[in-house]
Amino acid sequence: MTTFTVGWLYPDLMNIYGDRGNILTLVERARWRGFSANVMELGKGVHHGLEDVDVFFFGGGQDREQALVYDDLLELKAEPLTRALAGGAALLAVCGGYQLLGHYYQTAQGERFPGLGLLDLHTEAGARRCIGNVVVDVSGLGLEPSTLIGFENHSGRTFLGPQLTPLGRVMAGSGNNGEDGTEGVAAGNIFGTYLHGSLLPKNPHLADHITTAALQRRGVRSLPVLDDALELEAHRRVRDRELAGRR
Amino acid sequence: MPVRTALAVVAGKATGSLSRLTGRGGGTTFPGDVARYVDPQVLRRLARDLKGGAVIVTGTNGKTTTSRLVHAVLEGIPARVVANRAGANLIYGATAAAIAVAGVDGRLRADWGVFEIDEATLPAAVDEIQPRAVLVLNLFRDQLDRYGELELMARTIQRALEQLPEQSVAVLNADDPRIGELGSHLRRKPLWFGLDDRGAGAQSLPHAADARTCPRCGATLVFDAVYVGHDGEYRCPNGDFARPALDIAGRHLRLEGLDWLGLNLDGQIVEARLGGTYNAYNVTAAYAVGRALGLEPAYIAERLKTVAAAFGRQERFEATGRRFTILLAKNPTGFNSVLRDSIELARGKRYLIALNDRIADGTDVSWIWDVDFELLKPSVQIVVPSGDRAHDLAVRLKYAGVKAEAPQADLGRALDRLLELTPEGEHAFLLCTYTAMLDLRALLVRRGWLRPYWST
Repeated sequence: MTTFTVGWLYPDLMNIYGDRGNILTLVERARWRGFSANVMELGKGVHHGLEDVDVFFFGGGQDREQALVYDDLLELKAEPLTRALAGGAALLAVCGGYQLLGHYYQTAQGERFPGLGLLDLHTEAGARRCIGNVVVDVSGLGLEPSTLIGFENHSGRTFLGPQLTPLGRVMAGSGNNGEDGTEGVAAGNIFGTYLHGSLLPKNPHLADHITTAALQRRGVRSLPVLDDALELEAHRRVRDRELAGRR
Repeated sequence: MPVRTALAVVAGKATGSLSRLTGRGGGTTFPGDVARYVDPQVLRRLARDLKGGAVIVTGTNGKTTTSRLVHAVLEGIPARVVANRAGANLIYGATAAAIAVAGVDGRLRADWGVFEIDEATLPAAVDEIQPRAVLVLNLFRDQLDRYGELELMARTIQRALEQLPEQSVAVLNADDPRIGELGSHLRRKPLWFGLDDRGAGAQSLPHAADARTCPRCGATLVFDAVYVGHDGEYRCPNGDFARPALDIAGRHLRLEGLDWLGLNLDGQIVEARLGGTYNAYNVTAAYAVGRALGLEPAYIAERLKTVAAAFGRQERFEATGRRFTILLAKNPTGFNSVLRDSIELARGKRYLIALNDRIADGTDVSWIWDVDFELLKPSVQIVVPSGDRAHDLAVRLKYAGVKAEAPQADLGRALDRLLELTPEGEHAFLLCTYTAMLDLRALLVRRGWLRPYWST
């Protein structure tokens, strides 16, 4: 195969909460497997070559920065991004980026800001902020280990449409809305979640799952195995501590 | 003076003595809680006794060191200075400090106060203390789980500065874009300080930079020099916003090891026994406060020379024939600063890095992915990851391409491992988040390598 490319949407404005860790994980793991890998930074403005991107990453931002990318996203990114995803690329969206995948975000005052409308979900402002470590059961994805861990910090409450499958179910923490026990979304090659921390470094199984999904179209069926003992030990320690705290 | 205040002082003092007697540490905040319970107005009343006045120091990084510098400047007037020296920077810590130097008659035995205050506590502190000067050092990304976004913090600080008494002055870091913005909205012009030495600055922003966009038009700011984090010489490419003109400018910066720095502050040569560019900011800031209070340049410079680093911050000691330096880092900007300085100025090769995720550290450790640990790659020989989140740190180092020892959550064992790997005569660095630094220091005291902080 040629080059594994990660497309990072708004790296300078939507990079709160150590999102760089997700990019580093995707890129380094590809390199450890002998692929060449690079990052395409997709800041504001028109970009060419989005069809070469294997995995898009869309992180969270502070309110002020999120407002700055909003018009650019809908006017300049929505169309080529949708086309690339239809062509088999994968997308991981976290927090603010996740919310923008849906139909709209509704503020506490009832004002609605349209999102990309890629997925049948919407988000409403909540009164209380959900902050803390999260453990998610993702046995539905067939991953080993069957959990994801991360940290959430959001006041938005996201609700999935009836046809959508969540990424998993919360074992500790709030997840999508703190009501229905769901966390994130997994819709084909599109993954949305509230987990940062960063998400992928301590969940290498999810990193590989997303990478594999994206590389299907290039004829890659499975990835060479890496030594993840350190990553999974970090994963296990946080998981055990958080689940023990719940009992 | 109401009897209630005197009672509050007595109650607070008794609590402090009890805390020390029972070996629970220096009693840096609890006496404040008790006294405020007896008289909620105790700090307001005691602060009125300060004949000179008070200085409040706030900002994300550098509060403790800069407060020490300001303290030294005021003490030489000469004056009796009260300060919350131990990093207890909420309103209870400030109250406890005032009680410690108050008499049982409820009067304060001090002429000046220097209070380092947590950003979120600033409105309450300004209201109660009515300071002569408020110094705002910087605003960096820090503990989003606790403080919320930078924007919210900027608004809190601006609100506090708008409540300053008529004769008081805001001393602000012009090089920090968010502070430059909030200061330009104030009714009375602040005193602006900053660095002005493009040779000492970098040309691009680090990953952890936050304040990148013009507050007026949203364009990405252009930096002609970056000194620390996102602090530097910035301007909007459309001409809508730029760094305010400096009233106090630091030029000709010279750095030697982690021990010494010198710079020229508007013609006055200033030297300090502190290292690193971030301390050049702290020194410039303390000098600016001295000028704001009407003190002479040569006098301020003389006093600044006398200050050594605060406990746990570039604190150095020798033990077992090896040299050690403790470096405190609480957020990406602070971490990048101490990493860069220890490598470039002190040729650091051996590190114990301790990451905790307790309330005072911030429970979210995502920020380590914004730290440029890649800096360690070319020259480092030993890194022992430690602390409650040692394993997260080890993963971060792995993805930075830094070869590290196996993670060792227990600080004592990590320290033993570092000793094994560090030959006698060599220098090792102990990089810690806040509670890890407190734990490590307690451990070093138990081993007889350091004295407890309340006796330093």
